[in-house]
Amino acid sequence: MNPTLIGLELKRYCRDYVGLFFIAVLPAFMYVVFGAAQTFGKADIGRGNVSLYVMISMAVYGAVTATVSVGGSAAVERMQGWGRQLGLTPLRDVSYVGTKAVLAMVIACIPIALIYAIGLATGAKGDTWVWFATAGITLFAACLFSLYGLIFGLALKSESAVGAASGSLVVFAFLGNIFIPLSGLMLTIAKFTPLYGIVSLARYPLTEGYSVDMAGELTHEAMWVPLVNVGVWTLILGLLTIHLVRRGRDRQ
Amino acid sequence: MITTSSPPTGTTTAPPPPTSEGIHLEGVTKAFRSGGEVVQAVAGVDLSIAPGEVVAVLGPNGAGKTTTLDMVLGLTEPTSGRITSFGAAPRRAVHEGRVSAVLQTGGLLRDLTARETVRYIASTFPDHEPVEEVLQRAGLADKADRLVSKLSGGEQQRLRFALALLPDPDLLVLDEPTAGMDVAARREFWRTMHEDATNGRTVLFATHYLEEADHFADRIVMMAGGRVVADGTTEQIRARASGRTVSADVRRGDVDAAVERLRGLTGTATVTANGERVTAIGEDSDALARTLLVELGGTNLEVTTASLDAAFVAITGEESR
Repeated sequence: MNPTLIGLELKRYCRDYVGLFFIAVLPAFMYVVFGAAQTFGKADIGRGNVSLYVMISMAVYGAVTATVSVGGSAAVERMQGWGRQLGLTPLRDVSYVGTKAVLAMVIACIPIALIYAIGLATGAKGDTWVWFATAGITLFAACLFSLYGLIFGLALKSESAVGAASGSLVVFAFLGNIFIPLSGLMLTIAKFTPLYGIVSLARYPLTEGYSVDMAGELTHEAMWVPLVNVGVWTLILGLLTIHLVRRGRDRQ
Repeated sequence: MITTSSPPTGTTTAPPPPTSEGIHLEGVTKAFRSGGEVVQAVAGVDLSIAPGEVVAVLGPNGAGKTTTLDMVLGLTEPTSGRITSFGAAPRRAVHEGRVSAVLQTGGLLRDLTARETVRYIASTFPDHEPVEEVLQRAGLADKADRLVSKLSGGEQQRLRFALALLPDPDLLVLDEPTAGMDVAARREFWRTMHEDATNGRTVLFATHYLEEADHFADRIVMMAGGRVVADGTTEQIRARASGRTVSADVRRGDVDAAVERLRGLTGTATVTANGERVTAIGEDSDALARTLLVELGGTNLEVTTASLDAAFVAITGEESR
């Protein structure tokens, strides 16, 4: 690991105010509106309250947006000539990927820390270990999704790739049961979309698999459902990334 | 390896084996697949560059210059043939910092400052020249804190030059370093290059500006259609162009015969035909003109002094056909 590289890469992201807004400020704002400010926020759910539930959801959304943007911009800048510049240095591909992975982790911590701090101050309640466990799962899930950004970057090869990746995330966040609780057919569809698994897993320490839908009905879901979702989507994202990297190499 | 014949303690006066210094290309080709078609970007290049030489690779777009330089830099692998760079594989020479390059436009991070960009690349080398010194030498000391996106095209190119200076390379490769610059910026860039890069360093640069090749290089390698079509000192290349261009119209049916006849004249460098118009470049323009007018019944005769440009077009145009 090269501390100079990590430091400079972090500096670049901190200069991107617009990006930081979408990564950290927007999900935090949504938590305040949909979680902290609602009267049902104080209602008990599993090992905490509803505010905590909304807080975890928004932290997942923020963290995933962060890693997707790191992955996407890494792919784009590499293809737009920076990769050739790095090809003239002794920097190995492994170190480059490692640097970007550390960067993605650090950037993903920004929305998690911010939203959890606001949650702490505005009445999200839960067992202490639940706070740490959900934050840890969120961070891990976000790392997987840097591949999602990478795929958009590799496929579209232009700056619009990052926008397209983040934009499609919003759709998948709705479909993945992150922004509003789904029920019926929509909930069934949701179980096949990429964000459903990781957000369900992140909430699992709090909910133990129980959820309340819009109609107020209590449902339980076994842990294997989100686990299979995450497993299958990780496989899909991994295979797509390998395919696109190979295609890019052939064209050189 | 020749090890048994050398005395164990003696200091050898013989020059080192020729492949351990400089750059050597043997039968190098490169084919790309583009759509369903195979494009032969480099169609067989043999080239040796000795340490200390300043060599210009000259040729039109699509001549294979960039692909050849990319292979010398180890950025792409040749389809066939062999390249040794200071006795090693190109990638290794680059990793050891013996070879570095100023690449064509593109390839800088817009949200870093000039100094940060240099620090970024410097951190990847175990040993490198001091960051401030490199910025100074590239003429960027007063712009070091500016974001790359706020630098002009010429300044960005000097930043790439600063990056190339970091490993203190033995060979500096420049791929059309002044493409897209205005005349003043081009002159300024080459002035910086002259001041710094030339003392003992080997320089290999691609350009399609003849003027740059003429002013800066000791040797010119002309490429067209993926091959080397001319190779010599700038004086030799200029001598090749010292003849005159003689052209005339002949009857359509006689064109091939006329081309053959003119090629047979001594001192004729090239003969080309375009429709009814036959164009010959040669030392003895009088003989060419006489043959065209009297023997071949040519009309609309024109005799011009061949510039380096004309010779270039004649050499590269004919070979790439």
